Amino acid sequence: MMQFFLTYQPVLDHGLLSLGFAFSQWVVLRAGVFSVASAGLAAIGGYSAALLHLDGGLPPFVTILLGAVLGGLFGVALAWPLARLRGVYQAIASLAFVQIVLSLNLYAEGITRGALGVDGIPKLVETPLLLLLSAGLIYLMHSVNTYRLGRTFETVRQDEAVANSLGISTIHFQTIAFAIGGVIAGLYGGLTAFHSYHLDPAQFGFEFLVAALSFVILGGRRSVVGPVIGTAVLVILPELSREFGEFRQLGYGVILMIVIVFMPQGIADTYLSWSRKKRLASQQEAQ
Amino acid sequence: MSTLRLQGVGKNFDGLRAVDQVSLEVPQGKITGLIGPNGAGKTTLVNMITCLLSISEGTIFLDDHNLTDALPYEGARCGIARTFQNIRLLPEATVLENIVCGFHLKEHSSLWSALLGLGSSRAEKRELEALAMRLLDRFDMRPFAGLEAGGLSYGHQRKVEIMRALATDPKLLMLDEPVAGMNDAEAEELGRIIRELASEGIGILLIEHNMRFVMQLCDFIYVLNSGSLIAQGTPEDVSQNPEVVAAYLGGSTC
Repeated sequence: MMQFFLTYQPVLDHGLLSLGFAFSQWVVLRAGVFSVASAGLAAIGGYSAALLHLDGGLPPFVTILLGAVLGGLFGVALAWPLARLRGVYQAIASLAFVQIVLSLNLYAEGITRGALGVDGIPKLVETPLLLLLSAGLIYLMHSVNTYRLGRTFETVRQDEAVANSLGISTIHFQTIAFAIGGVIAGLYGGLTAFHSYHLDPAQFGFEFLVAALSFVILGGRRSVVGPVIGTAVLVILPELSREFGEFRQLGYGVILMIVIVFMPQGIADTYLSWSRKKRLASQQEAQ
Repeated sequence: MSTLRLQGVGKNFDGLRAVDQVSLEVPQGKITGLIGPNGAGKTTLVNMITCLLSISEGTIFLDDHNLTDALPYEGARCGIARTFQNIRLLPEATVLENIVCGFHLKEHSSLWSALLGLGSSRAEKRELEALAMRLLDRFDMRPFAGLEAGGLSYGHQRKVEIMRALATDPKLLMLDEPVAGMNDAEAEELGRIIRELASEGIGILLIEHNMRFVMQLCDFIYVLNSGSLIAQGTPEDVSQNPEVVAAYLGGSTC
């Protein structure tokens, strides 16, 4: 058992860190914002946590928190232009933001150490801490979904004119979603830095962004279990298919396509709505 | 008594004059009708009153509240509620959830409490659901509470939409073609509900195509054609006005 755990501990850690980024993406999609800025906000959190410790001399866990705060602040700043755009325009504008952050990581050599990335970050984040934080995060996201925020996000996402007619300020609530998503992305960026010794300027690039998006799309955009299942599947699957060598990516792509075609709401949401329909049908029959 | 007042309201869409110099009043506790042929500018006018569309000229007041330059979500905060011409519910949410959405302005628990799932949020959720159930009882729709709103019949969806609008506790309710696609029995029931709401003191602005429904229900009627008011008065006055007959009723005065 112990042997098994030790073999797969890196996979578990990777999965737990990914879950954070998945939720950061999930919460903005939840409020009807098609933003992929999480990658840039994670880079801001990761770099500031690492550099404030290495160059600024602040204690590590303080800098991780500062990274989270910075992620949130940048999230709110981004909300100002992005909440005024819609759909694909939001996606492109947020992608541009990610590009800006990435090029600063690469070219602002004096601060970010350029193409070599940041080395010599102490490893302080271990599995128990990640497990604890994931449990906390799932609880918080569950609250978001259950109480007034989730209700309002859902209204804004489904129909903005209706939201307005009920007195809901779209911009206000999308800004809140950006702030929550930014804090999560910044926090997990910092955790990543203090987990893997090293930060690479390309680490939070396009691949990262697509992964965060796939976790949510594959798992489900509405329920809290959605991102959990999406992350689990996409982190475990490549491990299981290790022996297929170079065909791994191919299989990954095929599975993603099959799920999206046959379960457009994602695995968890499709199952939940199916089981709800079944329950309602049996209730009606009983009546 | 609250009154909605429009003074010389106009709307241009890039040179197209959709609404021109419209002045009208919707008093509380009365049913005011707004009729006119397709494309007359009725829905444009409603969208301006609910602040969804900006106004090119004129002023809109609800009592002392100036709504002329208000933001889209401020209309509801001043007490204006509406339903939509093409029903707009959250189709995947349940009937109960749809109505609870309408209580947005009654939500006072803090964002922290919603994030942390504190007791005040839990209590608020229970309280709003109980209020929604009371509304459902009033409209005889309690058995539908747990069903998906998108799966209901047309008439029931309309009622859910009206309940959601009422959840905002409005002084003025605008109904954009509420009986379109309903049969006579359903329309009659809706008429009874509308009268009841007016008698409780809500001002009703009824935008409708169904002439018989309008004539039976309204205390006062405005007729809009090509963006301008061409007549106003009691149902009898309006139905006998030759200009209205020519523009809209097409000879039939039923």
